[in-house]
Amino acid sequence: MNELLSGSHRAHRSSATSNATHDALAWFDLGQVDRDQAARLGPISDQVADQIIEEFYAHILRFDHAAQKFSSKDQIDQVKAGQKKYFTDLISAELDDAYVADRRRIGGIHEVAGITPTLYIGSYAYYLHRLGTLIGDMMAEDPATAFRLFLSLAKIAHFDMALALESYVETREATIERQQRQMSELPTPVLKLKPGLLLIPVVGMLDRSRARSLTVSLLEGIRQFHARAVVLDITGVADVDSSVANHLIQSMQAARLMGARSILTGVSSDVAQSLVKIGVTGADLNTAGDLESGIIAAEAILVR
Amino acid sequence: MTIRVPVLQQGKVLIVSVQDALSDSDLLNVQQDLLDKVFSVNATGVVIDVSALDVLDSFGTRTLSDIAAAIQLRGAKTVIVGIQADVAMSMVLLGLSLPRVATALDLEAGMALLGQRHVA
Repeated sequence: MNELLSGSHRAHRSSATSNATHDALAWFDLGQVDRDQAARLGPISDQVADQIIEEFYAHILRFDHAAQKFSSKDQIDQVKAGQKKYFTDLISAELDDAYVADRRRIGGIHEVAGITPTLYIGSYAYYLHRLGTLIGDMMAEDPATAFRLFLSLAKIAHFDMALALESYVETREATIERQQRQMSELPTPVLKLKPGLLLIPVVGMLDRSRARSLTVSLLEGIRQFHARAVVLDITGVADVDSSVANHLIQSMQAARLMGARSILTGVSSDVAQSLVKIGVTGADLNTAGDLESGIIAAEAILVR
Repeated sequence: MTIRVPVLQQGKVLIVSVQDALSDSDLLNVQQDLLDKVFSVNATGVVIDVSALDVLDSFGTRTLSDIAAAIQLRGAKTVIVGIQADVAMSMVLLGLSLPRVATALDLEAGMALLGQRHVA
């Protein structure tokens, strides 16, 4: 790392670079040379940063979906200030763990704020294009140097984008995983409708572990409430595959071994079709149409 | 050694409480004793309580089915009572679901089931 980043800034370098940061920088072939070359664009960048940002907002506010992200002028000013800092860092900040953490944080913020990769990369491209054009104008006497410096900056910009997009995806995956977990952890209540009659409304996704806990609470409910009839309502279940159907059948058989008859209600047309496809029939599941007829059928079991 | 399982009589109903894991031959003895008694007292119903069992294997399940079928031929009803939740679950996983035998949660529910059927 020190070899890669050794250079004029060595004296200031107290900041840390972990192995992960080192590997990422190496992958981008990004070293102190690039950092120093990009930093030479600092004076130009400082001079034109405000202009570019103003143009940028004039540009994006023409798009409704982008304008919707901003609720007030204050907010726009705040974001502009953040953006200026972002571009200043891009030009001159040390490429260390703190830098990586900051860029990754931005990806997470984008995910939460609904700033898609298209918006983000599009904005970045706009900035680089404007800055590149202005650099070309201002360094017209030495275009080769200008181009080399700009290439270093572009490399750092790509490094930036990779970091932000990685954490954008990670944040999104974490969100999806959390929602899935919440769905699968939805408790399945066992409700006593009247003496001897239980109602179990099943809502959400029925996966293997949830089907198992459904069985456990069904059997415990039968014991606790001395149930002789159980209505299992799956109106709120979107999809039933063969393993879930099997679980339902097994639960109902186990319930019967404990002296309770179960009735399945609320089979949607989609679920009915997929059940028929996998060879499960009404006889296996003891179905009734809707919850009302299920309860009537259950009451008939109770008086029998 | 053989374990004798007592067959209790309550009116026209016989009650067998299987109190411990029986060997296969013990179970066959129960089957024999029970059927003899059903015929001798002309019972109308039999309750077999298995609440003390931690496990019901395929042999036990089949014997219970056979007992119920034989009693059925005599015109009487059999109710298996007291299958525990985990026993029920493992039976189902083994594919044993006692399809033609009446079940009830406990002795009381089993007696009620026989009583109502008897009246009806």
